[in-house]
Amino acid sequence: MHELSLIQSLLDIIEDYAQKRHFKKVNTVKLSFGKLSSIEPKCLEFAFEAQSKETKAQGATLEFDILPIVIYCISCEKEMKVDAYTATCPQCKGEDVIMVGGAQELKIIELDVD
Amino acid sequence: MKVSVVKNVLDANDRIAMENRALFDKNKIYVINLMSSPGAGKTTLVERTIEALKDKYAIAVIEGDIQDTCDADRVAKLGIPVVQINTGGACHIDGNMVREALPAFNLEKLDLLLVENVGNLVCPAEFKIGENTKAMILSTPEGADKPAKYPRMFQESTVMIINKADLLPYVDFDMERARRDARATNRGINIFEVSCKTSSGLSDWFRWLEDQIESFKKLNP
Ligand SMILES: Nc1nc2c(ncn2[C@@H]2O[C@H](COP(=O)(O)OP(=O)(O)O)[C@@H](O)[C@H]2O)c(=O)[nH]1
Ligand SMILES: [Mg+2]
Ligand SMILES: [Zn+2]
Ligand SMILES: [Zn+2]
Repeated sequence: MHELSLIQSLLDIIEDYAQKRHFKKVNTVKLSFGKLSSIEPKCLEFAFEAQSKETKAQGATLEFDILPIVIYCISCEKEMKVDAYTATCPQCKGEDVIMVGGAQELKIIELDVD
Repeated sequence: MKVSVVKNVLDANDRIAMENRALFDKNKIYVINLMSSPGAGKTTLVERTIEALKDKYAIAVIEGDIQDTCDADRVAKLGIPVVQINTGGACHIDGNMVREALPAFNLEKLDLLLVENVGNLVCPAEFKIGENTKAMILSTPEGADKPAKYPRMFQESTVMIINKADLLPYVDFDMERARRDARATNRGINIFEVSCKTSSGLSDWFRWLEDQIESFKKLNP
């Protein structure tokens, strides 16, 4: 629902870098976020296409690095990737687990520019 | 050419939130960001908290819940300064909305600011507003699966208030599961089981909040 404000912030950051690094055109925007954050790539792409018109980022491709959900089981003493989050270890079925990955915020990682 | 950036997309919001926080600290105002799904009991908890603490602290409220100005009217009845933010259908409150609401208050006089966020479990946790504490309210009729389904909201919160405990005999709510899943996202989360209707458990919440405000004042003399 708030893709518009995310994309506006993204475009502001890109504009800021365009001034500093003197580029004319953005080819690719590499983003990352955790699988559990409230981000829908399709919605971001749609908002990006609409809002990037007449900016240096018009026509650029968004690339997403979606970070997996990772839990740490205290009994097994190890981290495990899981498909959906629950506080149960898939291996020992124990409940002493901590969520350690999957909720990372949307970050802009890298731009490919001309 | 590759340009490395590595920045939160919400960097600009984070910065505004930091400025809000600096202003709150300067004026010694403890700020709570109250989040929940619609109807879990945010406004009711705000009312109860005001009734309990208004003789001790100067309290103000920012209302971001969308349902017209009804929530703001409920709070204004208690004689507390309240600003209704027009979120314009937005799904969360952000740092700038809070900043724009602040001139309506006499900040020097305030001790506690309660911010009622938009009723939504998906995104309010992503947008910092300059708060000291995020508090999640989960009500028993919603079901105990919410911490597992929306872990980010619970991970970001210092407090989980399980409200509508009076309805436990009538709803399927697995208390152990809700507590376990919330703790797994966030080991330090403080959990309170309350009923805003019967007042059960509320005194623990008030005491915790008073302790927070008092330690905050000691840190910002
Ligand atoms: N049974 C019961 N109802 C409650 C409790 N707390 C709030 N409610 C009711 O739940 C409804 C929604 O509450 P409200 O505070 O407006 O929720 P909000 O949308 O989160 O602000 C209202 O009808 C309240 O009276 C409670 O502890 N028990
Ligand atoms: Mg409300
Ligand atoms: Zn295990
Ligand atoms: Zn939102």
